[in-house]
Amino acid sequence: MTAASLLLQLLNGLQFAMLLFLLAVGLSVVFGLMNFINLAHGTLYMVGAFVGFAAAERTGSFWAALAAGPLAAAAIGALFYAVLLRRMQSESPMKQVLVTFGLIFVGIDTVRLIWGEYAQTLAVPSWLGGSVHVLGDVYPAYRLFIIALGLVLALALHLGLERTKLGAVVRAGVDDRVMAASLGIDVGRAFFAVFCLGCALAGLAGVVAAPVLEIYPGMDMAILIPTLIVVVVGGPGRLSGAFFGALLIGMAQTFGAVLIPEFASFMIYAVMALVLVLRPGGLLPARHAA
Amino acid sequence: MTATAEKHRHIAAAALFLGALAARQFSGYAGADLIGEIAVWAIFAMSLDLIAGYAGMVSLGHALFFGLAAYGTAGLTLFLKWPSAAALPASILIAAAAGLLVGTVVVRLGGVFFIMITLAFGQIGWAYFLSAPSFGGVGGLSGIAQLDLGSIGLNLVNPRDFALFAIVVAAIVYLLLAGITASPFGYMLVALHQNENRARALGLPVRRYKLAAFTLAAAFAGLAGALQTQRTGFVSPELMVWTSSGEVLIMVIVGGLATLVGPAAGAAIWVVLRHYLSSLTPYWMLVMGLFFVAVVLFAGNGLMGLIGRRSRRPNTIAEVSLDA
Repeated sequence: MTAASLLLQLLNGLQFAMLLFLLAVGLSVVFGLMNFINLAHGTLYMVGAFVGFAAAERTGSFWAALAAGPLAAAAIGALFYAVLLRRMQSESPMKQVLVTFGLIFVGIDTVRLIWGEYAQTLAVPSWLGGSVHVLGDVYPAYRLFIIALGLVLALALHLGLERTKLGAVVRAGVDDRVMAASLGIDVGRAFFAVFCLGCALAGLAGVVAAPVLEIYPGMDMAILIPTLIVVVVGGPGRLSGAFFGALLIGMAQTFGAVLIPEFASFMIYAVMALVLVLRPGGLLPARHAA
Repeated sequence: MTATAEKHRHIAAAALFLGALAARQFSGYAGADLIGEIAVWAIFAMSLDLIAGYAGMVSLGHALFFGLAAYGTAGLTLFLKWPSAAALPASILIAAAAGLLVGTVVVRLGGVFFIMITLAFGQIGWAYFLSAPSFGGVGGLSGIAQLDLGSIGLNLVNPRDFALFAIVVAAIVYLLLAGITASPFGYMLVALHQNENRARALGLPVRRYKLAAFTLAAAFAGLAGALQTQRTGFVSPELMVWTSSGEVLIMVIVGGLATLVGPAAGAAIWVVLRHYLSSLTPYWMLVMGLFFVAVVLFAGNGLMGLIGRRSRRPNTIAEVSLDA
């Protein structure tokens, strides 16, 4: 592998990792707060992609897609919280997770009902349509945009978590929910805020991925499994866990496909199994896993 | 669990068994095929109940073992030319071995973590068979030979004969699992489900018990998967896709966790419902999802919970079943 192709694969891996990070970060922090995993998280990614696609079709602007996708996903997340999750807070986490599993079925068929069976593509916006020269090779500018967006958001989320009041509340909640609540901190409200933000980020990931990957009913399941693996590998509850987990899985997937193509689909599972055997709580656990 | 509750369940199981035999008696080929399908899913659902209901390990990847045994049967009969009589038990062993392997990793985890990991493992199998050219890829493999049961006058190619055979196998599986769950081993599973730390403090090797249960459940799921190839003569990656694992969990929860007969009845309800829904609308998954959500939200412990409520006797297992 030459230096140039190595660099290109590194960039590809980084690009996939940033998508995974956008998806995993919401799931991971919510899990840390409430021991709750939204298995329909991929559905929000799919909704973001389809709504973004519809918005771009209607207005011809990629900016409209970038705004509409996350907003739609956050709105659906908020609706889900208001109608179901809020009432289920006294129930076991297991029950809540099973409800989200049922919603995956509902999500796929609703999208099929509205947009049909067939795969759609969202065009790369013209201002990002070019390529960039990298060590004598060309690399699509749009993929660099995904990487930059991911890195900027990771930094923003990190600062938000470390420097803001809400961030402090979330950190306290992840550390020890009961203790935080008995100190008068409204963990439920922090949960709602983080949940909606996570949904919006999933929707954003959907829009951003749309020009690179196809948009189709079922794309949610294709991304859910790698996302869950990132959460598990990174160790749920922490931003850094989601970030480094996403890097590891993104690189494993990309280099697996190049170096050992026949086992490419196994690479990320092998990495997950290895991490779980060595460190059952993930690489960077916020606290001891159940 | 009280002795009365257990007796009620045996009566319900006997009624279900006789009902299935009677329904087969009066149905044609299409009806018998549906009954055969129900029996296969009933075995599959009861196998999941052992870990999800009794041991509290709610798996979303149980179809992995169902599918592996089906592919095992297909591979052994089609490629290695094994007779079905040898391929069926061997593929159950394949499922059990896979259960042991996957179980070694997953039993270390609990609750919601366990759900995520099993879902991921299930999708590994699906992704593999989807892209494995030697196993036919997306299209799968067909032409799997049926077991020769001419000596007892059955021809499994005939749906009515298959239904009879599958009902009897399902009844045997029920009896085996009822025996296992009523044994000291079964009580230990319930104990570690109710309070894992207490069970560990009392000296129970918790992981070993969980692994044994997981492996057993994989073997019974394998039996169901092997039987499925005898019904259809066909395997495809769809056997182990996440919706398959989801459907079987729906059956268990609809019927009632930790009751064995509940999941079998849940299989009957679900297969019949799916059969009619999918002929009515292409969007039957939407209905199925909403139905599942409603059952999780409103039906305490499924069908058996509704029946049990009349006797006003708290079912200790049912009350903790969905608690992580």
